[in-house]
Amino acid sequence: MIRLENLHKRFGEVRAVDGVSFTAADGAVTGLLGPNGAGKTTTLRMLYTLMRPDEGRILVDDVDAVIDPQGARLRLGVLPDGSGLYPRLTAREHIEYFGELQGITGADLRNRTEHLLKMLDMTAIADRRAAGYSHGERTKTALARAIVHNPKNVLLDEPTNGLDVMSTRAVRDIIRRLKSEGHTVLFSSHVMQEVSALCDTIVVIARGQIVASGSPDDLRAQTGQQNLEDAFVALTGVDVVPS
Amino acid sequence: MRSSALTQALVVCRRELTNWSRDRRSIFSVLIGSLFGPLIVAFMFNTMANRQRQVEDVKIPVVGVEHAPALVDWLRQQPGIEIVPGPADPQDAVRTKREDVVVVIPRDFAEKFAASKPAQVRFVSDSSSQTARPRLQRIRSLFQRYNSEIASLRLISRGISPVVASPLQLEDVEVSSSQQRAAQILSFIPLFIMMAAFTGAMSISTDSTAGERERGSLEALLINPAPRGAIVAGKWLAGTATAMASVIITGALLYAIFEYLPLQDLGLRFRLGGPQLAGVLGAVLPLCPFIVAIQMYLATFAKSFKEAQSYLSLLMMVQMVPGFLATMYPLSSKAWMYFLPWVGQQVLLTDVLGGKSPSVLFFVAAAALNLVIAAVAVQGTTALLQREKIIFGR
Repeated sequence: MIRLENLHKRFGEVRAVDGVSFTAADGAVTGLLGPNGAGKTTTLRMLYTLMRPDEGRILVDDVDAVIDPQGARLRLGVLPDGSGLYPRLTAREHIEYFGELQGITGADLRNRTEHLLKMLDMTAIADRRAAGYSHGERTKTALARAIVHNPKNVLLDEPTNGLDVMSTRAVRDIIRRLKSEGHTVLFSSHVMQEVSALCDTIVVIARGQIVASGSPDDLRAQTGQQNLEDAFVALTGVDVVPS
Repeated sequence: MRSSALTQALVVCRRELTNWSRDRRSIFSVLIGSLFGPLIVAFMFNTMANRQRQVEDVKIPVVGVEHAPALVDWLRQQPGIEIVPGPADPQDAVRTKREDVVVVIPRDFAEKFAASKPAQVRFVSDSSSQTARPRLQRIRSLFQRYNSEIASLRLISRGISPVVASPLQLEDVEVSSSQQRAAQILSFIPLFIMMAAFTGAMSISTDSTAGERERGSLEALLINPAPRGAIVAGKWLAGTATAMASVIITGALLYAIFEYLPLQDLGLRFRLGGPQLAGVLGAVLPLCPFIVAIQMYLATFAKSFKEAQSYLSLLMMVQMVPGFLATMYPLSSKAWMYFLPWVGQQVLLTDVLGGKSPSVLFFVAAAALNLVIAAVAVQGTTALLQREKIIFGR
């Protein structure tokens, strides 16, 4: 379970995040939807403790992430914006590296690594160096290392950005799978179809503020739009041609 | 399943080393850094030794050996002298550079010699040739010695003391000795060893800080529940290992050079034996953690790998200053100098290579000081990695 209460973050004069509150429930997929620059990444960065909110509270399960960032990180698996890999380590080594940092060792580590490689259909590239990976292969590797410790809460920042159809499907399968295993999944996206296909709850963010939240049906009802994309446009005010 | 910070530091260290060892460029830079000094030293010593030997060991082509068997026998007994049959046309052989100097003994030599008349010996050489001149001088002085020996014998046989015939006693004192030049080369060695430490540290210092952020893997790494201090310490350990490897390679090569190069030909009294090697490593190995920590701290400010490298090149210039000063103005080692980081090692090395053995206390003090500063710099880097601006490279 992840709960954000009244988060604020400003960079100079810019209020990147301006009073964001929402809850991502266990066993559910929550989508953070918003146009580019709406504050999605900043919100997530505060959540995964690499940024400190100016104001507000973040709870990861029962841990206050502002007071005990390390305790919060133990309960999180994160695929950050942009998945940088070590060009000369293999996919297997990436997964093992992060597993070891989580304190997993020996046969346990080997089994988990093997399991993730199979699940993400990566066995063919498992022992190749990351330097030659495609975008999809990089994302899968980054995702695998992020969840090697089987974290209760999984954060994904634009996980399908720039992926081809097959890789996008693989990532969606993982998200569904994590959900069915009872994890809390929170992911950000600016793609309407993706969010509507996967999410139980959609949180729409624009200009640093939450403009709507609820199930896809709720959002349609709220805006009176049958098409979710129209609902999105109506909510965020993006793409509105002044009449 | 929380693991200790030390375990996590070791995990980071191991992966950094794996990543490093697979990069041909960084291996190459360590090799260059650690081979450069020893190769230069070996080359310089070897050239000097060769030049010396060239003058001392002389092959003399002699035309008409059969006309002066006694003279030739005497020449053969002189150390470093070999007599070979001369070419048929001596002047042509010298002109076409096949020979530097050819000695010609004319047919009437024996006859004149027996009659105690001046017997002619001709030296055919080209005085415009650089290599011929020292050789001609050497050969000429040999014949002069023979000349005066025979003259003395003849005088004695006539009942006259040979001293009468030597109003002057000439003596050469060589000042620009090879020993002095060898000492100059020795004074460069501390600089080379310290450079090896610096270049050996560089690739991990930059790649694991600025490089890590540039490729976007820093964020993911920091999200792990490992404390920042453990992550930085792991990188620091990895860098220290490569720096030390580089120093050890340099030390071993220098040791080999002193072992196998014929330095005694140069009149060098100094040898880099086991105790000196231990002294060199004892002085420089504790410097490695210090260098790595400083490099990492600086590189963490850089936005990119390239920027980090240019910072460190500047740092290298600064670090070379005491070394260069020491080669130009040999420092008389004052006690306070041992307590300066970097300079202290320089002084220790100069002492060790100069044949002195500084007190163990100085080694310990210099090492302790380096470690303290290194720890502060590691703390500093850890603090930098708490800053959002550093992490996200704004």
